[in-house]
Amino acid sequence: MINLKIDLRQIWHRSLSFKIAASYLLLLIILIVTLPILPLAYQPNELDLQYTFAEPFTKGNGAWHWLGTDVLGRDVWANILYGAQSALLVSFPVMLFSTSLGLVIGMSAGYFGNDGLKISRATVPVTLLALFAIFYYGLYLPLNFYKLALPSSYIWLSLLALAVILLLLYKVLLPLLNRWRYTAANILLPLDYLVLRFTEALTSVPRLLLVLALASFMQPSVVLLSVIFAATFWTSTARLARAEMLKIKQLPFFEAGRSLGVPEAHLLIKHALPNMLGPVIVTFTFGIAGLLALESTLSFLGIGVPGSFVSWGRTIAGIRSNTSAWWLVVFPGAALAATVWSLQTISYHLLNHFEERKQL
Amino acid sequence: MLQYILRRFLLSLPALWLLVTFVFLLSKLLTGTPGEEQMLQENGGYYSKGSTESRQLVYRNYLNRTGQNLPLFYFSIKASPEPDTLHLVYPAHHRTLLKKLYWQYGNPEAVGRYYQSIKALEAALPVAQKASLQPYMDSLYSTTTPEGLKAIAATPSPSWGAQASELTVAATHLAAQQKSYTFLLPSFRWHGTDNQYHSWLIGVIQGNLGTSFRDGRQVSSLLYDAIANTWWLMLASILIAFVVAFELGMLLVMPQSKRLRKVLLPSLFVIDSIPLFLLALLLLVLLASPSFLQLFPVYGMGYHTLTGESWLQRAGVLSQYLALPVICLTLSNIPYLTNLIYRSFSEERKKDYARTARAKGFSERQVIRKQLLRNTLLPTITVLSDALPIIVAGTISIEIIFAIPGMGRLLVDSVLARDYPVVLAIVLVVAAFRVVTYLLADIFYSLADPRIKHAAS
Repeated sequence: MINLKIDLRQIWHRSLSFKIAASYLLLLIILIVTLPILPLAYQPNELDLQYTFAEPFTKGNGAWHWLGTDVLGRDVWANILYGAQSALLVSFPVMLFSTSLGLVIGMSAGYFGNDGLKISRATVPVTLLALFAIFYYGLYLPLNFYKLALPSSYIWLSLLALAVILLLLYKVLLPLLNRWRYTAANILLPLDYLVLRFTEALTSVPRLLLVLALASFMQPSVVLLSVIFAATFWTSTARLARAEMLKIKQLPFFEAGRSLGVPEAHLLIKHALPNMLGPVIVTFTFGIAGLLALESTLSFLGIGVPGSFVSWGRTIAGIRSNTSAWWLVVFPGAALAATVWSLQTISYHLLNHFEERKQL
Repeated sequence: MLQYILRRFLLSLPALWLLVTFVFLLSKLLTGTPGEEQMLQENGGYYSKGSTESRQLVYRNYLNRTGQNLPLFYFSIKASPEPDTLHLVYPAHHRTLLKKLYWQYGNPEAVGRYYQSIKALEAALPVAQKASLQPYMDSLYSTTTPEGLKAIAATPSPSWGAQASELTVAATHLAAQQKSYTFLLPSFRWHGTDNQYHSWLIGVIQGNLGTSFRDGRQVSSLLYDAIANTWWLMLASILIAFVVAFELGMLLVMPQSKRLRKVLLPSLFVIDSIPLFLLALLLLVLLASPSFLQLFPVYGMGYHTLTGESWLQRAGVLSQYLALPVICLTLSNIPYLTNLIYRSFSEERKKDYARTARAKGFSERQVIRKQLLRNTLLPTITVLSDALPIIVAGTISIEIIFAIPGMGRLLVDSVLARDYPVVLAIVLVVAAFRVVTYLLADIFYSLADPRIKHAAS
């Protein structure tokens, strides 16, 4: 982390575009954080039906519409600020989650490879049973209770049942099975192969198409959409983490650690992870830029997000009912493009910096 | 070589199958039956005139016709009190009532008897009293708590006939025979090959993608029409983007274009950070809106103006309509391509053979065009197979904005109408397209560079 600070300072002093991008993002974050106390005249979903498609600098019902209004008289300036807020609130948690998921999957695939993970025969059916129990008691039952409006004590009951079953499976059944020689024998789990096939399946269709197809099956909801994003965005981090892990695995310091008998978890978290942090940060910022573009495209198409969700894409979509309302495209579009540009510029400079340092 | 290609092809099939199965199962698990909403509209609409029975018949027929009466997969896992045939019940609020009762009381026979008695009572009610008793019937269809059941057992007046007393008996029976918490026990049911997934998969393997829920047309013919329109858009954009990117790359790598590099590379970076739909809208506002410049026709592909002209005239009209969409797609792909091509040119420039060529007296231009070009073409084959899916995704927003009846538009329309057979077929076609482009890239690669040994990979 200290290294990263020094790196950032170095890039800051060297490049003008990095300075601009970082300052813009800082300004945006400050605006988003101070949004509740900013003196805004209009709320983003507040309708001003007397002033629909008002041009910029129109005095509306009480206060100025600095950047104009859309088809329902919603203030564009308020929508841009709140749109930034929702863009951040969607993209940041999603990226954090999918990056950690990708790291776990990719690192274990790279570390264990196809012949590194030995598990006893008994573990396979026990784990399958456990997965089934988690799905049934942890997901299916609570969801149905929620949908059918049954008493909430049922949910606790099913979670309790899940805990008991998991305990039985791993503390009683597994040790019992491990006593037999046949079930205790080790088999190889081709983890790398499985992970590769799975990421290949997910990436064989363009992401926009996959998200569109998945979003069509559920009610429009921001939370569900975030889940879909997270489920499709982890692949790039996983690939990167896998490749980095393969490299790190062969470095002398790592082999030394292994031969000294350092525990695997310690080895992975304390020794491998810090060494791939740079590239991971780069994919993180690139990922946020991609998410912003994807989210605004979806809100522009009006798929997967509820109509009340404030977003840059929603404001931009207003142009389709009135092609001469240029302010609906230009202002939110500029905000969107500037944010994506800043994120990409920062990732680009970080990438260059890390590559240069590697060559030294 | 042939063996290698065959192996690659077979290896890519599991991924394809996994993806399509995943999307298929999710599509069915996450929502109710499509088409039901239209039939449920009690007031207005085509189905409103019939009685409940006739509507139920229509619903059953619809399920049978589209194959949705079958179980979803080879097996199913459900809470044990819930029977398999619940999804056949119509209308939807009866289904919710039944599901609640099943889950809460855990006794399918008693629940079934109670439900039948409600229906029998409703059918037996005299026409004159129907309107006044409607709130009471509604309360019957929404009561699930044991206390509510006791109240029901107490209320009906004997003057309503035998059905009312049967209702009382059934409600008391249900409340008495409650088997709580049976939902904690999952039940595993095997359905065999007579299920939706199996018939769909067999259909796909035999080349039958099913029929659209919306208009009953064959999905394959819908797709064929859509792809025919998207095809020209994609082909033109790819070709133009590659030619322009190569020319720009060669221009940028020349030693004297240092100033050009300083201007062009950052501006390409800026273009790259504008999402495609935004770029298209900006160009639309600038170049095809009446308040600025109106240079291009905006919407559609101009088919309405085409009647019996020669193909040359057709192409002329078509190119007017396609110009702006193609420009958008090309422009959004150029930054990425140019950057890659420029990088690979500057790598090649440093190599020995380029220096030798320069030492022999070739001009820089000749070195680039005659010596380096061939070697940089090679890596771009991979880039091409990567760029194709990006362009496919790009056509979605482009076709929506410019109202081109192509694949992306078909997808968005089907998504909005929840027309799953079409959505699934599009996912399948695009994924298969990707597999084929990867294979083609591999073949071209090995044709272009015989040094690549496939046995190793």
